Amino acid sequence: MASIELIIVFTALAGVLSYFVGRLNKVAGSVVTILASMFVFVSVAYFGYNNELIHSTEFLPYVTFSVTYLGLFFAILVTFIFAMVSFFNPFFVEKYKYPALYSMLYLLSLAGVLGVFFTNNFMSLFFFFEFVVWTSLFLIPMGRSKRAASSYYAFSTVGSFALLFAIFIMREASGTFNIVSSMASVNGTEAAIVSALLAVAAFAKLGAFPLNVWLPRVLGNSPDAISAVFSGGLEKLGAFVAVLALVKLAPFGYVVDATGLAASQYVIAALGALTIVFGTLMAIRQDDAKKLLAYSSMSNGGYILVALTIASSASVSGGLYHVVAHALASTAAFLAIGAVSRITGTTKMSELGGMIHKMPVTYLVYLIAIISMAGIPPMGGFISKWLIFQAVIDKGMILVAVAVFFGSIGSFLYVFRPLAALFLGQELPQHREVSKEAPFFMLVPMVILSGLIIYTGVLPNFFLGFINNVLTEVGVTPLVIGSYTVTGTNGVLQPALIASVFGVGVLIAFIIFIVLKKSRKVGLMDTYTAGNFIYTEELMHYSLDFYAPLERLYEKYINITKDFYKRLENKVVDLGRLMKYYFFTNKPEIMVLWIIIIMGIILWGDIL
Amino acid sequence: MSAILLIVVPLLAAFISILFKKASPYILLIVSFASVIVLGYIELEVITIGGFASPYGINLVFDQYSLIGLYIVNTLFFLVVAINCVKFKEMSTILLIALAGLNGLLLTGDLFNLFVFIEISGIAAYLITATNKNPLATFNYLVAGTVGSSLYLVGLIILYAMFGTLNMADMANEIAVSGVDASLVAFPFLLMFIGLGVEAKLLPFNSWVKGILASSNKLTGPIIASVYAATIGFVVGRLLTSVFVFSDTLGLVITIILLASIIAGEAMAFSSNKVREILLFSSIAQAGLVVLVFLQGFIGWGVFLVVANAAGKFILFTVTNHASDELGTDEVNDLKGLFVNNKIVGLAFTVASLSAIGLPVFLGFVVKMNILGDLFAEGNLFIPAVILITSVVEGIYFVRLLIKLWYKEHDLPVVQYDFIIKYVVVILAILIMVFGVYTAPIETEANDLDLISFVEGGNL
Repeated sequence: MASIELIIVFTALAGVLSYFVGRLNKVAGSVVTILASMFVFVSVAYFGYNNELIHSTEFLPYVTFSVTYLGLFFAILVTFIFAMVSFFNPFFVEKYKYPALYSMLYLLSLAGVLGVFFTNNFMSLFFFFEFVVWTSLFLIPMGRSKRAASSYYAFSTVGSFALLFAIFIMREASGTFNIVSSMASVNGTEAAIVSALLAVAAFAKLGAFPLNVWLPRVLGNSPDAISAVFSGGLEKLGAFVAVLALVKLAPFGYVVDATGLAASQYVIAALGALTIVFGTLMAIRQDDAKKLLAYSSMSNGGYILVALTIASSASVSGGLYHVVAHALASTAAFLAIGAVSRITGTTKMSELGGMIHKMPVTYLVYLIAIISMAGIPPMGGFISKWLIFQAVIDKGMILVAVAVFFGSIGSFLYVFRPLAALFLGQELPQHREVSKEAPFFMLVPMVILSGLIIYTGVLPNFFLGFINNVLTEVGVTPLVIGSYTVTGTNGVLQPALIASVFGVGVLIAFIIFIVLKKSRKVGLMDTYTAGNFIYTEELMHYSLDFYAPLERLYEKYINITKDFYKRLENKVVDLGRLMKYYFFTNKPEIMVLWIIIIMGIILWGDIL
Repeated sequence: MSAILLIVVPLLAAFISILFKKASPYILLIVSFASVIVLGYIELEVITIGGFASPYGINLVFDQYSLIGLYIVNTLFFLVVAINCVKFKEMSTILLIALAGLNGLLLTGDLFNLFVFIEISGIAAYLITATNKNPLATFNYLVAGTVGSSLYLVGLIILYAMFGTLNMADMANEIAVSGVDASLVAFPFLLMFIGLGVEAKLLPFNSWVKGILASSNKLTGPIIASVYAATIGFVVGRLLTSVFVFSDTLGLVITIILLASIIAGEAMAFSSNKVREILLFSSIAQAGLVVLVFLQGFIGWGVFLVVANAAGKFILFTVTNHASDELGTDEVNDLKGLFVNNKIVGLAFTVASLSAIGLPVFLGFVVKMNILGDLFAEGNLFIPAVILITSVVEGIYFVRLLIKLWYKEHDLPVVQYDFIIKYVVVILAILIMVFGVYTAPIETEANDLDLISFVEGGNL
């Protein structure tokens, strides 16, 4: 038995402890994060799965908890991600400006996340939501960019405040902050407004179009471990809210008879589709592997939104399964890139190459992760995408389906580029000496994640069974699953069979690889073009401008959203300057003039 | 003991301090400390001065509301003095007069007496701000302040002619009894509101603020932005909730002016690149919010908004003004990395700004959530929307500022904070955090304050 309250308090106290330990010894402080987050994960997962979590509260005022399958699903997943990523902290923490603070904020945001998933009170939900915002906020600038943090703050606060507005509207309707009863009490126009506001919160947290600007900045520039946490963990807060907004509340607007879908579902699906397309197109352009994965996270957020808004049994279980699959895959990929950057100090693909020779395990982890991201069997990403594709086609959303497929094919294009450029290919001279495989404790979480990615792809039924509990809870018909089969709308999937066929193929390929003659290693300069000798190795790097012809098609339009927000910001600045100009002169007579004008206007005629 | 000592003793000490120039800082320190301590020993009562019964004579109202105000203002005043009394020796006498004036503002139950105290504290403020070494701004402040208090006086004269009383509670009573249409008293109240608006930093009556606070030092920054602002907040709160009668149209117009003040304040802070400017425009927006909350009639949470602002602005202005005094610049870019070697002060600054934005586990969050909740409960959706949108803007510039002040690698600005500043800001920051988590006493107090009826209390 374990009490949720105690787990949260424990996490927060461990955070404070890690600060003081971190002041004495940087690495020791980050070891506390490993121990604490592992403990939290194990207790949440074990007791949660066995229905032994106690939700009564004794110490915390105003906060009440309850255990729902939805909350438990997200809590187990996110604590797992935090626990896995925490293994990276000791290896990175010394590079950061405030190492002790890093450890503390890491655990405090974990505590906040747990609160969000377990509370049954909207006010506490908002409290924890904002708590997560500011604790994670100060982790970001320890990485490469100082601007990323403020843009993260801006967008997630827009989301939080939309959430708050919805919360208060629901309270007015129901007189309570209780999540279940206040969501049940709204109907008609109010329900529509609440649903729209919650959707804004979900969009902001997921980094979906048009609230997407922060996501690539944060994921691309945070400390390596924090990028993984954001992509696998904190971003999933958005998915949690999206379930509340899109599945628990009924869709609204004009209902199309043929498909049975409401206007709001079309709008959200369209925005989700745009997110997928934009994320994919931007990911293709990136030279920085972390930025690339960041945009890929964005496009995967789009999948989750599309799936959840359709709200059929295949789509919701596909959406939730995608939450798991993407969390595992993107965390593994970010960690793999983090492991490379720890040794080489860069994540730019044009500056890297041939890391497979020194880091074979990291290479394999990345390979497995991207196979899952691209939705290829036998990895977890395939199962979720299979379900989502079916749901989209089944509902006749042709254009969305095109976007969804485009995203999948696009992800083939981009995820293999870091593989080819960064791990395969020629070793660059500057990294030849320094590179070696990541230390054992960094490999542990990566290997565990890879194992789970394969497991979710081969035997999805365990997780789908759990997701079915969530589905029942939120009022969606559960998905039909057998012991080794998944029944979708258009047929039965046998992932284990697919995996074994795939395994046989890999085995044959491996035998051929062993039997055939080994390739000969040559230097990058061991070549010539048109009779000229090559002097700069970097120019020979074949990941440079890899998709130039494709990029040329849309490179004019890549900054549309960014420019929009930039212009918005400038408008606020302009307004401020204008006000300063009119009201804050060094002349008191101007102030008197304003007083006279205001009194004149107010006293004009009989308006009082 | 009687609450009148809070006014008399500082005033007397001010005269004594002229005679003993050398001892004057210590007199100031002792008197300001004593007025905090004495507060615990005075019973709540209404004091009639000179034996003239209440509507005819002047009375001082020492109730729960003024008690909180006095505690906050006197404590912050003492802290300002503790930090500055050595450096600004020559200001000791004036600061004592300011203390008398501020306590008088909080205590008085008489509208004309209020005018007198506005003048006293105003004159003290003009002289204190002379230490900014920006005479033009001080002169503008003088002109603006005088215009404001004259408008207040004109409004008051009209009211006196109409109802024949100057006592606040009696005035409210007379207006209610006589059944005068709200539109008939709109003009005097508007004049008085504008008059107070000058001191309360409401747009567009606040052009003096920029000149004063943008060149403020360690003394004037906290005292104007925190101590004076808190006092005026309490005064406006009392008048708006208990005395003033606004017709619906006038209320609407004023609400719009206040919302505009909030929006403009945040936008101006957003467009500023100097730390002091950012803070001063932010406090303009906060002042607008305070008045707005009182205008809606939420006494309890309005009070705690004033308290949270005063404590927060105290930390913010003390920290930045000390740095800008030392460095001779307050450009954000010159102060980058200020906290790298001043972590304790930096943490306090961070707590104060996160509380100002309204993030959880800090006092600002509790206050903001309750105000928003009350507004929603009245079925008001527009005002919360404006507050939330401006909060986003506010959050962005504060977060930007914080990140700039915390993160820089080389060429860090060298600023030494003496231990007293460290103690003061850290204790205030801890209090902001403690009451952000342990909210029960605040909530009881806020609910109690809502129940106090000033009209009955003032006429005892």
